[in-house]
Amino acid sequence: MTDLLTPRRLITKIILCLAALVIVMFACSLVGPQKISLSAVFNEPHDTPGQNIDYDIFVRVRIPRIILAALVGAALAASGVVLQAILRNPLAEPYILGISSGAALGVMTAALAGISRAIWGGSPMAGFAFLFAIGTVWLVWLTGHLAGGSAVTSLLLAGVVINAFFSAVIMLMTSLIDSEQLRSTIMWLMGSIGEKDFSTLLASAIFIIAGIAVLFTISQKLNVLTFGVNEARSLGVNPRKITLVAFALASFITAVAVGLSGLVGFVGLVVPHSVRLIFGPDHRQLLPTSALLGAAFVVICDTIARTIISPAQLPVGVITAIIGGPVFLILLSGYSKKVGTLR
Amino acid sequence: MSACIQVENLGFSYGPQAEILKNLSFEIPAGTFLSIAGPNGAGKTTLLNLLSGLLKPASGSIEIDSKPISSYSVRRLAKRIAVVRQEFVPVFEFSAAQVVSMARTPYLGALAFETDTDKEAIAEALKMTDTARFADRPLGHLSGGERQRVFIARALAQQTPIMLLDEPTSFLDMKHQVGIYDLLKRMQIEKQKTIVSVTHDINLAAQYSDMILLLGSDGGYDYGAVSEVFSKERIERVFGVRTFTAAFGAREFFLPVGKFGLGSKDAK
Repeated sequence: MTDLLTPRRLITKIILCLAALVIVMFACSLVGPQKISLSAVFNEPHDTPGQNIDYDIFVRVRIPRIILAALVGAALAASGVVLQAILRNPLAEPYILGISSGAALGVMTAALAGISRAIWGGSPMAGFAFLFAIGTVWLVWLTGHLAGGSAVTSLLLAGVVINAFFSAVIMLMTSLIDSEQLRSTIMWLMGSIGEKDFSTLLASAIFIIAGIAVLFTISQKLNVLTFGVNEARSLGVNPRKITLVAFALASFITAVAVGLSGLVGFVGLVVPHSVRLIFGPDHRQLLPTSALLGAAFVVICDTIARTIISPAQLPVGVITAIIGGPVFLILLSGYSKKVGTLR
Repeated sequence: MSACIQVENLGFSYGPQAEILKNLSFEIPAGTFLSIAGPNGAGKTTLLNLLSGLLKPASGSIEIDSKPISSYSVRRLAKRIAVVRQEFVPVFEFSAAQVVSMARTPYLGALAFETDTDKEAIAEALKMTDTARFADRPLGHLSGGERQRVFIARALAQQTPIMLLDEPTSFLDMKHQVGIYDLLKRMQIEKQKTIVSVTHDINLAAQYSDMILLLGSDGGYDYGAVSEVFSKERIERVFGVRTFTAAFGAREFFLPVGKFGLGSKDAK
């Protein structure tokens, strides 16, 4: 009985993942089309913008962008862990289930209604993204159940269909936007991490870290819920209550991530699966370690996105999709074989 | 001996035309091994789901330790009743020890880590069910019989006075069927547990049970000691099949015979 989780083991793993994240963030902050000198960053005067170019690039451009990428990665990976647990489906993920598209549709609706995206930290846009994300979860859930059969497999199909439908509506909306805004909107929709002001980063960090912290408090119950609703009840877990809390929080942190970066797909799929292979399926460690390593994953993907065709930049969603698409297909093939053997 | 489960005029239906159980009344004394038998569709699993609180009765009442089952919270009920369903492979690769450790969920504090008491209960359950030797292996890598033992270990680690089982030996070979029933009997004797098991195997039920609840397809039922309930006439009437019987002591065992079965007039 060597594999039961203890607080000491959990803390050790969290510290290891945190160290990996810090190393990745630091290394990626040194990479970019413009070479910078760390001694110049810290030793030369930098009181006003433009006085020390190395400082400006490192502190005012790259660090905020890397923090933003880390927040998006943490939110999407944690959301993937939670959705896979409550839907009992290893292929569930906020992008594949259409939750990200729902949140994006909310942001687009708010934008078309004239609410500026620039003040999102305190604007109704966050509320729009969250409401649309929650609405999408409900719609996917309802469609999946109406489709009959196993809710677990039909939910995935429902998510794919709703994702496609929302994507079409979003494209229709982009055609209504004037041509100057079009390119930036499309880049945002494809998952684009750009500069954000400090207050936006701080508000997002608080929302995402608080959301993941609350999810951690129900992570042991998520273990039980992966065995099904009836099993969960027999083991003293109220499945309706836990599912509701988990869905709401997963949708909330996804909505915050989409508000920051648009549609970044497959992070919630690739990261939890990789972490499960390393640390096992216990959600008490899977959730925090996936959040930390998801943060590192998106930081790396964003660094590739901003350097690979330098001086131009790719949307980070392109890089995560190029990595995540094949991983999804491999997992789908493995899952189909497993389900096949159970029948 | 006091009754730990009391059922009074219980009725349940899945719709206006689908009444499954009606006016069912019986008491299960604490420490009893009860088997629920009957043909397909008689409502055995439905009754088990009612006794475990998963379904709500349409009429009548169920009391656990003299309190209505509806007065128990999900967590409190999980400290009184453990449920073992037919074995399955979970979606994620939890090890046998991790599965058994989930039994402690109703006892865990806010931080949700197992205490030394929890670990002792888990270790004892693994030892008693002979599952400790593969405790670190994923459940999906075990045989059906081994997996069922792990689920029984989980119910044992839940440390409840009542254990409900839904066809615990389905899909298992004879050796594993007997092994599971021996284990359940040991738990009844050594841990004074009340065992309620749904079964299709009336001969195993006759061998190991103290009491039998025989449900008929017509909503009728018989409840009592094994020798009172299991008679050739009643088994043939309830299951609609001819039987040969053999007696061991006071108990009878039944071999069903079909049209072309051995000893029938059409057999060659």
